[in-house]
Amino acid sequence: MNAHDLDPLHEPRALIELVNVEKTYPGAEQPAVRDLSLAVREGEILVLVGPSGCGKSTTLRLINRMIEPTSGSIIFEGADVTNTDPNKLRRQIGYVIQQIGLFPHRTIAENIGTVPRLLKWDKKKTAARVNEMLELVGMDPSIYGPRYPRELSGGQAQRVGVARALAADPDVLLMDEPFGAIDPITRDRLQNEFLRLQAELKKTIVFVTHDIDEAVKMGDRIAILREQSIIAQIDRPEVILTDPADDFVENFLGSGAILKTLTLNRVRDLDLAPVPPVLPGASRTQALAAVEESSSGVAILLDAQEHPVRWVDRRSLDNAAKPIEQAGRSVNVMLQPEDTLQDALSAMLQTSTGMSVVVDGRGRYLGCVTIESLASLLVQTQNGAA
Amino acid sequence: MNESRASRLDLIVTPAIGLLLAVLLFVVWNYSDMDPTTERILEPANLARQLQQQLILAFWSTLLVIIVAIPLGIMVTRGGARGLKNTMVGFLGLMQAIPAYGLIVLFFVWLGQGATTVILALAAFSLLPVLRNTIVGIEQVDPSVIESGKGMGMTPVQRLARIELPLSVPVIISGIRTATVITVGMGALAFLIGGGGLGETINAGLKLNRPTAIFVGAALVALVALAFDFAGALAQRYLHPKGL
Amino acid sequence: MSGIESWFEYLSKRWDLVASTLLETLGYVVSVTVAAAIVAITVGVLTRNRAFPRELSLAIASVFLTIPSLALFTIFIPVVGLGFWPSFIALFLYALLPILRNTVTGLQGVDSSIVESAKGMGMTRLQILFKVELPLAWPVILAGIRVSAMLTVGISAIATLVAGGGLGDFIKSGLARLPLPNSLEAIWTGVILSLLLALAIDSSMRGLGRLTTSAGVRS
Repeated sequence: MNAHDLDPLHEPRALIELVNVEKTYPGAEQPAVRDLSLAVREGEILVLVGPSGCGKSTTLRLINRMIEPTSGSIIFEGADVTNTDPNKLRRQIGYVIQQIGLFPHRTIAENIGTVPRLLKWDKKKTAARVNEMLELVGMDPSIYGPRYPRELSGGQAQRVGVARALAADPDVLLMDEPFGAIDPITRDRLQNEFLRLQAELKKTIVFVTHDIDEAVKMGDRIAILREQSIIAQIDRPEVILTDPADDFVENFLGSGAILKTLTLNRVRDLDLAPVPPVLPGASRTQALAAVEESSSGVAILLDAQEHPVRWVDRRSLDNAAKPIEQAGRSVNVMLQPEDTLQDALSAMLQTSTGMSVVVDGRGRYLGCVTIESLASLLVQTQNGAA
Repeated sequence: MNESRASRLDLIVTPAIGLLLAVLLFVVWNYSDMDPTTERILEPANLARQLQQQLILAFWSTLLVIIVAIPLGIMVTRGGARGLKNTMVGFLGLMQAIPAYGLIVLFFVWLGQGATTVILALAAFSLLPVLRNTIVGIEQVDPSVIESGKGMGMTPVQRLARIELPLSVPVIISGIRTATVITVGMGALAFLIGGGGLGETINAGLKLNRPTAIFVGAALVALVALAFDFAGALAQRYLHPKGL
Repeated sequence: MSGIESWFEYLSKRWDLVASTLLETLGYVVSVTVAAAIVAITVGVLTRNRAFPRELSLAIASVFLTIPSLALFTIFIPVVGLGFWPSFIALFLYALLPILRNTVTGLQGVDSSIVESAKGMGMTRLQILFKVELPLAWPVILAGIRVSAMLTVGISAIATLVAGGGLGDFIKSGLARLPLPNSLEAIWTGVILSLLLALAIDSSMRGLGRLTTSAGVRS
């Protein structure tokens, strides 16, 4: 399937287009990118993914002309920019690379202000924008603004890298394995943060990775590339996972493609099971009534801040001598609406009931999710994709 | 002559040895018996004039080296000049294997007597450290930093002025420090071709067999070099860009 | 007569003098390099696990290299007189730093897990030093010795000013007789022979490096 085959009426306009682009490095026999046509739609995250050496980075770098194409043309916001001033083009496009490349001799604030200053914004406007950007990525401007890059952790440096790329408010962001050099836990957090940011900013993003899991998680659409940057398949992740175009794509997805669909959906997509809360200070009789009312035979005991603390069922409430604050089992694992279904599955597998508690950002009880609701959503996804 | 002294003790050991030498010089100057000849050699006005000559020679040759070597280093690190770079560094490396003594005499043979000859000889001998450090300084800049500058739309000149040069300042300064110490010290050989300098005092001591004069001349030359090296170490410490 | 021809003629008439001055310079190179290597390697080995004395000795050795050659060659004259000794002492002090620095770098470059595993196999500290650390650091140390040897060739030309002999004699006598016949040839003799000696030492030391370095760590 190709992006051009889709009905143009239902397709958002393409912000960037590569038209028959080819890149052959001097002295090379084979082109690194062969006759590539690709349209990036406004507001989407398009992930370019493929084995190492397939030319995905080269493709990305062709867009802001870090690499000049041998032939073909690059259309940006409707205008052919193949032969315009590349520096002007790059100032309109955010660019984030794996090594981040913060300027070590300049403060964080100066780093973020780079493109605004290149665009000759005045100092005041730049400073205001820098503060806004730091707040956007969750860093206190008064603390981090005057610091130098070497004082940052890897995750913080990456946040600053994103803030710097967004500083001049570009419509387009190019990201070349931006989270590639970061430890898995931080990477997961940064990915989630970035998705939250993107939901707000609605930038047009081209994102390169070699990690199919990351591609599935981040992409609105995924382009799977084979050598010479030939598009093996380009589509929504759920379609690619459930209906790979050929053996190459299937091999690249690896085993457990279905399991990967777990990262496509979030806990908020699941139906909450009716597990009633028991408020603090409730009597044993009130608690028992709640358990009776519950279809699953359990209730959740909350504390004064509405944080879930214990699972209780009929048997655990039998012992009249025990205060109900000590009845049942404590709640150890909690999910938040932004967590992926993969997180949900692993949380459920840790409880004997196949259920997990969901709380909001402040830890307040929202409800429970069950393994059944997860299964039914998976079936829906596959049916919807096919 | 060595530019990679990272040791923090630099800032203590150099002045400590300098101080030791100064004390020794003070003792010799005040408490040794000097015959009229020695006293004539060590006439303070003479010493001051020679010191001044030597510093002027060092100043102009170092300035010349900076003016020539830094732009040259920038030039050969631009793309497409790799071959030129290796040839040049190789040639200058070979030139450094020529004894300083021989080099200064050869320059005299070619250019005749005069301050210009000395300045050019000193510059030729100290060109390499600055050139090499400019090249090394620029090439050690993290490519991803330059890449991100390029990605944000900096022109080649902006990348040079705002990224590459500021980030190579410490290495370049270290090269200039080395060159300064070389020119200040080698200026002591200027007397060989009539260029003056404190070498005259040492030479007079040698010719007239006056060990006290030899020592005073040598200690002064050493002290001047140590002072400049120390000043260089201070400059390196305090001109160091903050974020590095 | 062209310059080169007259130079060869000059040389052919003075083989004895060339040979004896060359030997004097070579004598400096050998004695200075050996003495400096013994001292610098010993210091490097003894301070390998102690940061302060190591940094201190490096700092002191580098101060020597800062002192201009004419000053260092002449400053000991009141104590040791003219001739071989002031030259030897100056050259020795210059030669310390490259060897010391490379000994330190070489020893610090030995992977600590290798030392750990040697310890684990029951090797004593001396065995670890001589069978593991020094052989692994040797290529780097030898590179330092090579630098010192070449440095000695170049600087020893000054020795002639303190009656220490060597190839500098040609430069001095040439300069003194300018512009008389053969004065230029004499200067060139000093310069070119110094250069050739430095190159010869460079390549022979590189050869020695290949012969004395374990095939496993040769680059």
